[in-house]
Amino acid sequence: MSLKSALTVAAAGALFAAGVTFAQVPPDPNNPNEAVPEKHTYTPYGETITLAQAKKVADAALADATKREWQMCIAVVGPTGDLIYFEKMDQCQFASVSIAQHKARTAARYRRPTVVFERLLGKGAFFSYLPTLDDVIASRGGNPIIVGGKIIGAIGVSGGTGSQDDVISQAGAAAMK
Amino acid sequence: MNSKPCLTLEDCRKIGAAAMAEARKNKWSVVIAVLDDGGHLRWLEAMDGTTPFNSQVAVEKGRSAAVSRRTTKSWEDRIAAGRNALLNMPVLPIQGGVPIMTGGECVGAVGVSGVQSHEDEQIANAGIAALGLKS
Repeated sequence: MSLKSALTVAAAGALFAAGVTFAQVPPDPNNPNEAVPEKHTYTPYGETITLAQAKKVADAALADATKREWQMCIAVVGPTGDLIYFEKMDQCQFASVSIAQHKARTAARYRRPTVVFERLLGKGAFFSYLPTLDDVIASRGGNPIIVGGKIIGAIGVSGGTGSQDDVISQAGAAAMK
Repeated sequence: MNSKPCLTLEDCRKIGAAAMAEARKNKWSVVIAVLDDGGHLRWLEAMDGTTPFNSQVAVEKGRSAAVSRRTTKSWEDRIAAGRNALLNMPVLPIQGGVPIMTGGECVGAVGVSGVQSHEDEQIANAGIAALGLKS
């Protein structure tokens, strides 16, 4: 064994031994994530949104965006986050093509509005783990579409400020209420 | 500076409605995607009974046709004729993606997925025909 590889093995061994102490990070009493809630509250999934329903949602969103003269991308997905309907208004920025789809997908797969991630992330360090979760987008504009208390899909809107996006997104989701 | 025509959302909806009518007439359930000349999605509709797979494939066929200014059938045919190296190109070489040409310019593409490939292309062509463009 050469000197160099012997040193490498020694260094790896030292790291492995140190791993025991890494596992012993004590919980912070101020960390709200340490609490274990008794109940699991969630909105159940329903049947996948139909094309007719998706168009109704998108049309309501498009009508509101047109009225306000905001250039948006509007995406409607099923409960799994897969694309059912999409529309890009004439002067909408290109980045929004994928952002709108991402917001819709995240709202559907996590069963909650994307503003939840945005607001929690803004609360500080204890929520900085959120963007490490799969496929999260921590920006408002994604909202579940709920019919009869069940999530049948989600709408995602992008193109303006987050607050503008969310107004249009909620206008779309409201068409199914 | 040159200028070139560009699809409006109204154009995309017109293409989509005509393509949808062709699919309905034949009782086919498909996903129809309309993209701009850079392969960016402009409009998409997934009919009831389609799969997530169809949505991805329709967009990918459309993107391939838009950026290459060729039908995806032409890619498929050249590979079928033995030009295997084309499998390495960044396109989906399956019939059903058609570029939208006007005055020699490509302004976008339509991608369809859900039925047999030649039927997908038939739907795409029916959609583009609704614009009444002279290629």
